[in-house]
Amino acid sequence: MDTKLKHHPPKWPDRFLEFYCSPSRLEQIQGDAYELFYMNLEERGIRYARFRFLIHVLSFFRWGNIRRSKPSYQTYNQGAMFKNYMKIGWRNLVKQKGTTFISIFGLAAAVGCCLVAYLFIEQVWFKGMHQENKDEIYQITYTAEGENGKTTYGTVAEPISELISDELPNIKAQTRILTDFPVLIHKNESYFQRAQYVDPGYMEMFTYSMLYGYPGALNEPEQVILTEELSTKLFGNTHPIGQDIALITNGEEKLYKVGGVFKSFNDMEMFNFDLLVNMSTHSNENHALPLKDAWASELWTFIQLEKDVDAGSLSTGLAEIVSAQNKINPENPYLSLQLESFNDLVKNSENVERGVVSFLAVAPQILLSAIGIFILILAVFNYINISILMASRRLKEIGVRKVIGSNKGQLIAQFLSENLMVCFMAIVLGLLLAAFIFLPGFNEIASKNIKIDLLNDHLVWMFLGAMLLFITLVSGLYPAIYITSFKPINILKGNQQMGSKSVFTSVLLTFQFTLAIISIVAGVAFVQTNHINANRDWGYDSSDKIIVNVPSSQDYLPLKNKLSALASVIEVSGSQDYVGNWIREEELVFHEEKYEISLLNAEANYPELLDLKLKQGRMFNTELISDTQESVLVNQTFLDELGLIFPLTEKIILDSASYDVVGVVEDFHTIFFQSFIDPMVIRASPDTTFNYLTLKMTSGTAYSSMESVKKIWHEAIPRGLFEGKLQTEVFDREFSDVNGVSNILLFSAILAVVLAALGLFGLVSLNMNSRIKDFCVRKVFGADAGDLSMKLAKRYLIIWGVASVLGGGISIVLVSAFLNTFFAFHSGVGLIPIGLGLLILLLVVAGTVGSQILKIVKANPATILKAE
Amino acid sequence: MKGYNLGELEELILLTVGILDQEAYGVAILEEIKNQTGRKVNISAIHTVLNRLEEKGFLKSYMGGATEERGGRRKRLFSISATGRAAIEEVKNVRNKLFDQLPPLALDFSHGH
Repeated sequence: MDTKLKHHPPKWPDRFLEFYCSPSRLEQIQGDAYELFYMNLEERGIRYARFRFLIHVLSFFRWGNIRRSKPSYQTYNQGAMFKNYMKIGWRNLVKQKGTTFISIFGLAAAVGCCLVAYLFIEQVWFKGMHQENKDEIYQITYTAEGENGKTTYGTVAEPISELISDELPNIKAQTRILTDFPVLIHKNESYFQRAQYVDPGYMEMFTYSMLYGYPGALNEPEQVILTEELSTKLFGNTHPIGQDIALITNGEEKLYKVGGVFKSFNDMEMFNFDLLVNMSTHSNENHALPLKDAWASELWTFIQLEKDVDAGSLSTGLAEIVSAQNKINPENPYLSLQLESFNDLVKNSENVERGVVSFLAVAPQILLSAIGIFILILAVFNYINISILMASRRLKEIGVRKVIGSNKGQLIAQFLSENLMVCFMAIVLGLLLAAFIFLPGFNEIASKNIKIDLLNDHLVWMFLGAMLLFITLVSGLYPAIYITSFKPINILKGNQQMGSKSVFTSVLLTFQFTLAIISIVAGVAFVQTNHINANRDWGYDSSDKIIVNVPSSQDYLPLKNKLSALASVIEVSGSQDYVGNWIREEELVFHEEKYEISLLNAEANYPELLDLKLKQGRMFNTELISDTQESVLVNQTFLDELGLIFPLTEKIILDSASYDVVGVVEDFHTIFFQSFIDPMVIRASPDTTFNYLTLKMTSGTAYSSMESVKKIWHEAIPRGLFEGKLQTEVFDREFSDVNGVSNILLFSAILAVVLAALGLFGLVSLNMNSRIKDFCVRKVFGADAGDLSMKLAKRYLIIWGVASVLGGGISIVLVSAFLNTFFAFHSGVGLIPIGLGLLILLLVVAGTVGSQILKIVKANPATILKAE
Repeated sequence: MKGYNLGELEELILLTVGILDQEAYGVAILEEIKNQTGRKVNISAIHTVLNRLEEKGFLKSYMGGATEERGGRRKRLFSISATGRAAIEEVKNVRNKLFDQLPPLALDFSHGH
């Protein structure tokens, strides 16, 4: 017996046994283990006994002996409970229609915004995703030693396409693709359209749905396929198939028949064009080019492999082509040819020069995502605040549930499932909002054609699913955990203080107010900038001037003579580029230093005709021949950047000829306010032909003369494309672009304010409901509306104050940076945007609190207090 | 034949419980088997089989008899049920029936020639 008292079974195995063993079996198992331990102890000593004990404990670790979840769980019917959760949740939502509306509407608006942002991003990054054969299509690219090291090019020498069928195995289809801008003529009207010249293999490779005609139409060289938009523009409602059109490329006119019409594209297509033309009819193809020239001309070349063929199997064939090309065209030796999968064209666009995708539109993506996230945060915070308050009215329910035996996990599941219901409704409503309101509006502003394609686009489904999950968890998890963490005894006794006064709610509200202020400031600052820019002095007089293009040099003189003969034309001047458009850049040498400047080549009378303002010196003298040979004008920025003072003591050197600076003009805007004014040199060119003609008209006749100018233009150039415009219109496109952005910003600012207001309203009214007796008692004792308002509004005013400081500070930094990326000339974030932002939010607070105070003022305290 | 489907160890333990009569619990069964057959069976295997036999209805059990060796824990005492006895008998009958049909050993030699 002594040994027994001294020795005990080892502690840790014993505890482990107690830990894992199911309680119903523990006693007999542990008993047997102990008994064996003492038997072994007597027979073989303590070490052996301990070892055996451990072995026994481990051997008892079997499925049948292991403690599993509490037996009560095993009969717990999840399905039935969830049905009940849904029922209770639904009743709660219906009971609180106002707050439910606030939650669902806010979330839906956020989902709608995010969906638009997502779709915009999708159509940038997932272009061509719907093409059936996308996995088998490859673009042939080559790598060569460029100026900045190895460079990969998306275009390859044209004759390579002839080698493909000989050198490469398993090719199903191939096509060259060349984008050109021919003049399209239909019924004596000329149009400027984007044409894509392709081989017939294009239509085997890529699938498009046809509105009229059939995809094989391109097999006939003299047939073209139009997009729906172009077809409507040319033929209206008449049947387009078989209609005649003419295309002029490089001065050669060719007749075609319309063979088919594509259904309107959405923006998911990889290639962007107005009509497809058979490559064999392009003017380059008709002339038998010298071999060298043929190899020097490059274009996109695509191949489609047979199904399940590995692109790697073509590498020997590609190497053959490389050596052939390098033999014939040694000026541009290829290092290698590669196949780039159609699916990677967008992803790799940064590494490929002259590729299919050149512009990823990063700034709008960032702007739209930022707006989407702003709105989402606002809506989710609204929902969190409201659901905490709403749940605080159900504290008793929670207490009773807990007492009956619900554990925390179940309660959280209940709240989350209610949340899921709300979020699901929000997603559906958001989808509708996006499809019928947001997207049409956005497409209008951004001249896009984005659509929600639920049938084909599985990514949209994934996005919506992810949104649902994300919103449900983010908005629901905190309230659910918070509410369920209370002790039932406190709840049922009525001791639990909660909800309206919590710091958490205040923080969220502050954050919301801050976001709202930033949105307002951004919107207002942008509108203000647009307003100021619209009235900004362009630095010259743009009225009464018409600019027309001159397609080729032989047209210049006849056109100029004919236009000068027009009665309303006062003066005509030619220029290489025109003010209001891009101006070419040249290198200038001064004091043996090199500078990049804009060089405007024009006739000597151009500066005066345009009414540029002379600051110092003189304009060109058209009588002086020396002026067209050695004199230039410069703008003020030129002097500033080079640190010079007029008159200059030295000549400037352009293109190794030296020039006198005879005068300085005030700065003027040649390009839109998005860019700074570059240093500019205006040279009175000795040339006799120019690309553009600027007509100075008698006062007020510019607009009305446009038709007659166009007629005269076409008399001189019957088969050309007239691109005449008023000098006042040169920035129209840019203005409409920035107006679009400002509309988007205003829209999001309004939405942000509405959401913040709704959230605040929900919060204040719930808060008021729980304190209505308090307020009535005060009223009975003589508190007036002012006292009561102050009492209710104090907290929100403090929050407004904090948010004002935060929001004001952040928007000065953020919105200024944003304006800087858009404009070189802007009004900055001044007093007006910030003041307006703070004021609007203050009005929102006042309005919300006021509406609740009105309720008290109107209420009869007796009826409210009578209940008890 | 109903088919009681007793495994070899199950049969052994069922018999041992019958022999021990009112005193059958884990360690006692272990000892008895060791003494009777010289086989060392793992205690956890015995527990598993006992539980299985009880589920099948061949054994009954009740808690009783705490001793100091067990740290004051009670034993689960097993006794054989009527079904259990029927099962053993059935198994024994089947075995005997089959054994009786074994041809005598001598026959083997005659085949050899």
